[in-house]
Amino acid sequence: MAVVDTSDDGVGDGRSGVERKWRRRALWALVVLVPLTLLETSYESVLTLLRDKDFVARDVPWGSATHFGGSDWQLTDLRAALGMKGLAPDAIPVLADFTVTVGDPDLQKLWLGCKVFLVDAQGRRWTPTSSVSLRAPGDVTTCGSATFSGAKKGDKLKIRETFLVPKDATATIRAAVGVGSERPYYLRFERPKS
Amino acid sequence: MIRRSANLVLFCIAAALCYGMQVSKPHYADLTGPIPVYGRIGETVDARGFSLKVEKVAFARKLKTSAFGAQKVLTTGGVWAIVTAEIAAGSTSTTIWGGIWKGPTGLRYDTTERLLSVPGAPPYFIEPGLPKKVRFVFEFPTDQANGATLLVSNARFFALDSEARITLGGVTSGGSNSPTTMETFDLDQPI
Repeated sequence: MAVVDTSDDGVGDGRSGVERKWRRRALWALVVLVPLTLLETSYESVLTLLRDKDFVARDVPWGSATHFGGSDWQLTDLRAALGMKGLAPDAIPVLADFTVTVGDPDLQKLWLGCKVFLVDAQGRRWTPTSSVSLRAPGDVTTCGSATFSGAKKGDKLKIRETFLVPKDATATIRAAVGVGSERPYYLRFERPKS
Repeated sequence: MIRRSANLVLFCIAAALCYGMQVSKPHYADLTGPIPVYGRIGETVDARGFSLKVEKVAFARKLKTSAFGAQKVLTTGGVWAIVTAEIAAGSTSTTIWGGIWKGPTGLRYDTTERLLSVPGAPPYFIEPGLPKKVRFVFEFPTDQANGATLLVSNARFFALDSEARITLGGVTSGGSNSPTTMETFDLDQPI
């Protein structure tokens, strides 16, 4: 049976000096390793979170088209639809119209989770509503339907979404678009000049 | 001797600490479940994605309503509870899929599906800046009326998101176990 001398004699001092040095190194290594471990374990979750949310806005001037999700997006109109009955007194339906020239036709991959929304100066967001249904021309579609329309390169898609917003928001609302392949970036269009 | 005693004391403290942590550890379902936000009737409860204010609770033996131009009366072997509330979205459009009536014994009743075709039934789509008055309608045995809690969330299958829990309190009178109940509640009347 082996007997280990743990008393603090001269030899022990030399060994504990080495031990102290390695203990210090190990502690310093923890300073690096613990944050690295946290980073490694949370990396995928952070990526998933970023890919799922529209965090960073890219501003688009009125009248211009911007390449986004493989296609060129242009806001053509943003207007209120007045005179509708059966709505709350403060509620205003708003229509956002886009013309999109398809570049890469793999829309089911590039436009997955396509979301058109409105943002106002206070940071509030409105998603399309099903509470209001307005007649639209036959060639007008929604972002979700356009994704599965089988559009080809060079096709021009007319996309319209309808929203319900309070009167006080209509002065500052802006249309925005997010698609799966571009998140966390999204397009935020300047309001129409007129 | 002192060192041994100190070690023993330290060991006992560590064991007590471990035992305390073990018995006080929340259940996994609680750790990953909804985050409660409590309130009472008349109070506005602010959840993460919406706010809710329960205005009143009424009980009835029959419900009168009309759908597709025809009027119908719904009866029950228990009681109908009609919770009138105002709901408002936070900073983003959201949906309230319904509510849960949690009885005094913990039994949970979803909003009735017998009113699915009736205008004004959930789900409720709510927009920022546009609060909406709604009715949550439940059907349950009369002994589940007293001391109940209303649970409302804006996520259908959720985890780690807030859930409004409104204490509805006592609703019985005269020592009976049944709530004060009207004969017929007309759902067509404006909220």
